Amino acid sequence: MKIELNVNGKDYSIEIEEHLRLIDLLRDKLNLTGTKEGCGEGECGACTVIMDGRIVNSCLVMAFQAHKSKIITIEGVEDEDIKNAFIEEGAVQCGFCTPGMILAAKSLLDKNENPSEQDIREAISGNLCRCTGYNKIVSAIKKAAEIKRGGRNV
Amino acid sequence: MFEFIGKNIKRIDAKDKVEGKAIYPQDIYIEGMLYGFTVRSKFPHAFIKVDVSEAEKVDGVVKVFTYKDVPGKNHHGVVLKDHEVFISKKVKRIGDPIAFVVAKSKEIAEYAASLVKVEYDILPAVFDPEEAMRENSPKVHDKDNVFYHFKIRKGDVEKAFKECDVIVENVYKVPMVDHAFLQPEAGVSYIDEDGKIVVIASTQYPHFDQEEIAQALGVSKDLVKVLTPAVGGAFGGREDITLQIHLAIAAFTLKRPVKAVYSREESFIAHSKRHAMKMYYKTGATKDGKLLALEAKIIGDSGAYASWSMNVLRKAAVHATGPYVVENVKIDSFAVYTNNPFTGAMRGFGATQVPIAYEQQMDILARKLGLSPIEIRLKNCFKEGSETATGQILEKVALEKCIEELKRF
Ligand code: FES
Ligand code: FES
Repeated sequence: MKIELNVNGKDYSIEIEEHLRLIDLLRDKLNLTGTKEGCGEGECGACTVIMDGRIVNSCLVMAFQAHKSKIITIEGVEDEDIKNAFIEEGAVQCGFCTPGMILAAKSLLDKNENPSEQDIREAISGNLCRCTGYNKIVSAIKKAAEIKRGGRNV
Repeated sequence: MFEFIGKNIKRIDAKDKVEGKAIYPQDIYIEGMLYGFTVRSKFPHAFIKVDVSEAEKVDGVVKVFTYKDVPGKNHHGVVLKDHEVFISKKVKRIGDPIAFVVAKSKEIAEYAASLVKVEYDILPAVFDPEEAMRENSPKVHDKDNVFYHFKIRKGDVEKAFKECDVIVENVYKVPMVDHAFLQPEAGVSYIDEDGKIVVIASTQYPHFDQEEIAQALGVSKDLVKVLTPAVGGAFGGREDITLQIHLAIAAFTLKRPVKAVYSREESFIAHSKRHAMKMYYKTGATKDGKLLALEAKIIGDSGAYASWSMNVLRKAAVHATGPYVVENVKIDSFAVYTNNPFTGAMRGFGATQVPIAYEQQMDILARKLGLSPIEIRLKNCFKEGSETATGQILEKVALEKCIEELKRF
């Protein structure tokens, strides 16, 4: 079957098999390997992408369900504030959770530029990190929010 | 004064990682590459007979590898070579690798793997290391299950226990733990322009993998190149070989690139665990809280293979008194084969398990003696010049200060 979708601002019309998952479409067909697979069953959030403004686990979305939708993957995140905050706060270790974390953070900050710590922890509650212990990720997101409110770039 | 100490340093790989550009092995795609899928044992202890003929007939399957296809030595292992690359006769745990199906796609490989016929002649198995220590228990490796015994002896515990005013005796148990690094095992192998066998895998031990791969291929080490791209966490769980040799044999034999990616479930089954330990502790002190004697027996469940068990059980024993001075010490630690998942390195290498025991012993002693947990620790903790149970004289010890700090909480 054929689907149409927009990924990171680019339109695609693409032939897919019915059993294909969104994560496979992104990684195997569109070469967007920044989206990671940590579990394949909706537990870890490494495969998080933004679909029509909301975060989804791309391992649980079938490719055909993305027909006519707008997807943002890590490769399409232009927000340097979040990325820089992650680097500066030491929120990146092995990095396998990082793309998903950044998309979860972006999705939060797109809606709320002044999140409480509770808001932040809730926003990343679907994303597992086995390296950092989360605190540095939380402070990175706090910092990114501060920078945004201050209206300046790092 | 220092260039780096006390300063915030940015990781050199952080930028690639936040942009999604860092390459982990699953992110590598090579034109025309094949996919491998591992057939694993479903039983913990059994003789097996394997028939791959149906699987090899599947359209798109290139070859199914078993122990017969290992060109060199069918073994690996960080200390003892007790793992087989592919099981030849007897599986010793659930998850033992039996065959590696290589096909044109992941789906075909996985489907064909379900057609590999494994006949199991089931043997009695042993899952409790203490039971495994008994003479009449099933033997995992056709020899004594106890393959390591480490002893520490200092002073005279028997005499010292008689002089103690209070003695506490308890048994502590800690379970196996999985590293659950976020990136499941993955790898790619191919032959490069110079004819070298390249294995790209997330490993903690590339130079050692190189040696093990070379032995299994029966080639010299300089023909094997192991590359480590970004590694998605490891915590000790990537110190043993998982898919490296399987991939190398397939690429070496077929002269085509081969890739394999484990699912989370397979990752759990494939790699080591932290040792479950059973710790028998007897600790004695005088009425003013000075430790006089400590006797401990620590039994580590090594599971089906040795991996780093010797090092882990040695370290557990060396740390068994905790950071406390004890003049009379008797410690015995054992590594024991069972038919459980194998255990190896995980953050602390054995030093992580024993505090559960020795610190609780301290708290129980303190309560019996009417001392605070801080008092009893200050009384016994390592100080400048203290001697450990293994006879090491310590320098630059700041522990007292650390414990003092705790008074604030
Ligand atoms: S890979 Fe999708 S949630 Fe883990
Ligand atoms: S940095 Fe490794 S899982 Fe988060």
